[in-house]
Amino acid sequence: MRQDMTRRQLLVGAGTGVGALLARPAWSRAVTVPTGKVAVARCKTYGPELVTTLNTMFDQLGGLGGLVKGKTVTMKVNFIGVRWARLGNALMEETFWTHPKMIGGMVHLLGKAGAKRIRVVEGPWSTSESLEEVMLSMNWKPQEILSAADNVEFENTNYLGRGKKYSRFKVPGGGIIYPGYDLNHCYEDCDVFISNAKLKEHSATGVTLSMKNIYGTTPITIYGQDAGVDEPSIRPHGGRGNVFHFATRLPSKSAPQQLDMSMPKEAGFRLPRIISELNTARPAHLAIIDGIMTATGSETAGRGMAVKPGVLIAGTNTVATDAVGMTVMGFDPLTEKGKAPFARCDSTLAFGEQLGVGIRDLKKNEILGVNPADVVFSFAAIREKMGPPPGGGRRGGA
Amino acid sequence: MALSAESIPMRWPAGPLDIALGEKTKGFTADTAAVLRSWQDPASLAVVQGTPINCLVVSWSADAAQQQALKPLIEAGKKAGLEFVGLIQGEGDKAAAVAAAQAAGLAAVAMEGDAPANAGVPVIPWNKASQVRSSAKSPVTGVADGVFPGLPQGATPQGGPTNLPWVDSNGAILQIARALAPDKTVWVGFDPAPGAKLAAEAYELAVADSGSHGARWVISLEDGLRADLLAKKQPAADTFKKLIDTVTFFEQHKELRTYQPNGLVAVISNFAAPNYDSAEEAINLMPRLRQPFRLIARARAAAASFAGLQAIYYLDKEAPDAALRKKLLAFASGGGTLLVPSNWPNPEGPPAPAEPYLLFSMRKVGKGRLGVCKEEKPDAYDTVADIQNIISHGKDLVRVYNAPSSNFLYATSAQGKQAVIHLLNYSRRGGDALFYVKEPYKSARVVSPELASAAELQFAPQEAGGAELTVPRISVYGVIELEN
Repeated sequence: MRQDMTRRQLLVGAGTGVGALLARPAWSRAVTVPTGKVAVARCKTYGPELVTTLNTMFDQLGGLGGLVKGKTVTMKVNFIGVRWARLGNALMEETFWTHPKMIGGMVHLLGKAGAKRIRVVEGPWSTSESLEEVMLSMNWKPQEILSAADNVEFENTNYLGRGKKYSRFKVPGGGIIYPGYDLNHCYEDCDVFISNAKLKEHSATGVTLSMKNIYGTTPITIYGQDAGVDEPSIRPHGGRGNVFHFATRLPSKSAPQQLDMSMPKEAGFRLPRIISELNTARPAHLAIIDGIMTATGSETAGRGMAVKPGVLIAGTNTVATDAVGMTVMGFDPLTEKGKAPFARCDSTLAFGEQLGVGIRDLKKNEILGVNPADVVFSFAAIREKMGPPPGGGRRGGA
Repeated sequence: MALSAESIPMRWPAGPLDIALGEKTKGFTADTAAVLRSWQDPASLAVVQGTPINCLVVSWSADAAQQQALKPLIEAGKKAGLEFVGLIQGEGDKAAAVAAAQAAGLAAVAMEGDAPANAGVPVIPWNKASQVRSSAKSPVTGVADGVFPGLPQGATPQGGPTNLPWVDSNGAILQIARALAPDKTVWVGFDPAPGAKLAAEAYELAVADSGSHGARWVISLEDGLRADLLAKKQPAADTFKKLIDTVTFFEQHKELRTYQPNGLVAVISNFAAPNYDSAEEAINLMPRLRQPFRLIARARAAAASFAGLQAIYYLDKEAPDAALRKKLLAFASGGGTLLVPSNWPNPEGPPAPAEPYLLFSMRKVGKGRLGVCKEEKPDAYDTVADIQNIISHGKDLVRVYNAPSSNFLYATSAQGKQAVIHLLNYSRRGGDALFYVKEPYKSARVVSPELASAAELQFAPQEAGGAELTVPRISVYGVIELEN
């Protein structure tokens, strides 16, 4: 990769021929860059209305049964950052994490739709603790999730977990930064993969929605600051910043290596590309964004405030779903680098589009349910008042 | 006045011995020598007049020049009600130094290693943390190699969005010293870095880091501050006043020293070679996992109560004696979790493969579990992380949120009706801390040298049980008092 290439050249070069090679979700019918169906709904609370609303949204998308009946489902949720850092006294699930009622509701609906096995997965910060333990430390009741359907299990995908070996996911077309990624077995040993994210901003990538959530699939034992040099470490230590954000160290040599070490070592450059690669290598069949309660300003505790947009978004394509998410947040999904929320980073959605994951233009996707324009909760306006988040690259998590 | 548990010590470098020692160090200046000379002047005692400090620790040896130089200071100090401890460092004629201390009317001496036979004054054992011992003749035992607490050089108070920062604290070594010498008052020695221009809060933290762990820092001021104090410069006086206010706070809350650390996990060790390093590191790391714990000296374990414990980590490479092993296994059989090193001979019970932990292989023992470490030399962090995973957060007694560069210490009164949570902020930054407490306490308030009066705290009951308390921002140190 030459350093003197323009960004456009880089994009075009990386994207050539990629679309046709993509391994796409089973229910996507597009031939090249797929369009998506995205359902939007108002949902003010995590009470009984949540499951009813989700059910309606999935009906609008064509029904869950056709997707999951008799299948093994892996659902990646979002438990970002140090769990001991909350936004004031707001609960993590009310700000940065996928809400347990959302997880439980999804598990219930997946079970009801006939899923054979449901794995709820995440790689919480720098720990080998089970997800049950992480939930207990937040005063959640993991048993309520485990009992919401038959054959439900949790797995921490920061490390090998219950698997015998890591699964190799190649980036169709060869990738921009990495040609492939080694992930926990859960991401391969499934028929259906779901990204269950939160509606949030992000200090390094502008927004963190269903695409960015997939960044957290990468195991710390390979991509963490204390990952093994030759082989994955046994235990997960530290964050992914050294490898992914700033390229100050390499992943374990057993994993696919960076294609060109001369590329910029800035998170705002690297993360959108890496996230898009992950979305092509391990595409999600279903993207869900929890926008009932969340926080503005950042992806973890710091600046910002707890807010209640009261919105749910679900779609068949992560780029399309995130485009709707950005619209609901008051941002233009077609925005390129230099304008909020991508003031100091590239657009992950743009790279997702270039790599053939999906299309960010709402007009080219099928939007169902409530018109996104009618449920805008302007993160942009709040950001305008607060000023941009710090960084443009110095921070970041899954 | 005799050395006692109530003695409040301050290091008082002065005289030719300190000048000679200083001249061997890099960066020692004529100004520093002048400070050391001026602090041997009895007039310098005005610095501690009206403060709780009642014990000055001076450098001492068999050298007559030092003894003569300090004689006026010691005589004036004793008349003012101060006691003196002679710190004997390095090699030399220790017996002669002790005899000279007795002759000079010192209340005690402090020295490394064993006290000379028939010492005429109490000898405070002044050893590295790894070699802490107690002396029958002294109510005080010392830890000579403390660290000045705070954030390590270059550390950030937040530690990044996704991790906790490391902090320098004496918590581990002081808890070990207290476990080994529970009937003694523990003094810890550490000095500011030469030339360090420390804020008042750094000194407050130094007092609180020790005081919250039931110990006393041998107060040690940086040379520049000592010079400025004698010169009656106001900023120096303000800094010293804040330090003294923190000392006074702990004297006004003496009952805190009687509270015992509480937790669901106990670490049993002899806290000596070859186990010391592993033990200290594990105890240093426990606070990072936000897990309260207690320590039990191996020699006292057979007689110790295991009530309230969910897990015991028997850390030592040497197997326990038969009586202690029997007691530990009874604890496990009764429903507890016993975690042991890889060389535990003939592990009891059948394997429990359904519990796949990274470092410990679990076995079923009666109603409980035996976890045998898979590695001979496990990483300390991995060890405590696995222990946390094994015992589960489900029954956490206390959790703290939003205090990234803080440590906390949970301790309860003998009857269990009162509990306290010491909160130490090592960065002086941060906002309101948030505590979760499992026990249904009836009242909670926070007291602190930083607060003019106690602040009542409101419980926010949690859906899954327990309650949360929001604690107003504490810059350095505060203690939450809980009552049933």
